[in-house]
Amino acid sequence: MLFPLIEGSHILALSISVGLIVILDLRFLGLAFPGEPVSRVMKQVMPWSLLGFAVMLITGLLLFMTQAEKAYGNTFFRIKLLLLLLAGLNALYYQLRFYPKMREWDIALRTPVGVRVCAVLSLVLWVGVIACGRTMAYEI
Amino acid sequence: MSLEKFFQWCYQSPVLGILRDSSYAMPIIQSIHLLGLTILLGTTVMLNLRLLGIGMRQLPLSDVAQQLWPWAFGALLLMISSGILVFIPDPVRYVNSGPFQLKMALLALAILYHFTIFRRVTRKKLSPRSPLVNAIVAFFSLTLWFSVGWAARAIAFFK
Repeated sequence: MLFPLIEGSHILALSISVGLIVILDLRFLGLAFPGEPVSRVMKQVMPWSLLGFAVMLITGLLLFMTQAEKAYGNTFFRIKLLLLLLAGLNALYYQLRFYPKMREWDIALRTPVGVRVCAVLSLVLWVGVIACGRTMAYEI
Repeated sequence: MSLEKFFQWCYQSPVLGILRDSSYAMPIIQSIHLLGLTILLGTTVMLNLRLLGIGMRQLPLSDVAQQLWPWAFGALLLMISSGILVFIPDPVRYVNSGPFQLKMALLALAILYHFTIFRRVTRKKLSPRSPLVNAIVAFFSLTLWFSVGWAARAIAFFK
């Protein structure tokens, strides 16, 4: 009973954490909330996304502990961790390189190229994380 | 053709058999399904945060609803189409599953609720409703959509 609960929480927290990041990435790309300053969307979205991420991380660790050996040897688990690391580095790069100068393009519909590249990378990496996480459950 | 015969035909169809038995087809379809869930629930959570008055407060409610709708609707279509691909290669397994039946009932309710009450409240431009009404509307929206997700997850664990 406990395992399904933890696994369910892991997946539903994913929708909050990553779902909200997707909305922010779409704003970076000018595909949602075009009239809204990017900083405002970011400020609204991030606290909830981080909360979702915390739940995902805790439940993820618990899931890992229940089947550490099996998961560790799983190729898709390893790819998933690698993609997570890359998604983190991508976010860090954005935070260091573009965040301090956000005011300059805050209301622009088309954000700087570098920002859009970060947004696309974020989307691609998270899709990869989700696909690897789901595929882990299958015996391939 | 009766429903039972149709399910039998699905199970025996060579094309659907490939979907069922190939080691990569189901993980890919399930990943697409999960991606749809991420976007659908993400947009639903965000719109409900606005409805509750705890997020996106500077933007009018109807604008938030309008901006998010194409993505939510696209995600719903993605979920339904990938969901059908999960279902038809092995229909009998799902039809006989309690959690699956519950999921379908909740899904029907969630969609009905969205297109009637929820849409009417979130798209209203003038004279917003009282915070209490909004909170009740948001509560049912979140509860319904997340229950669909929980029932879905239960398919893998319970009969």
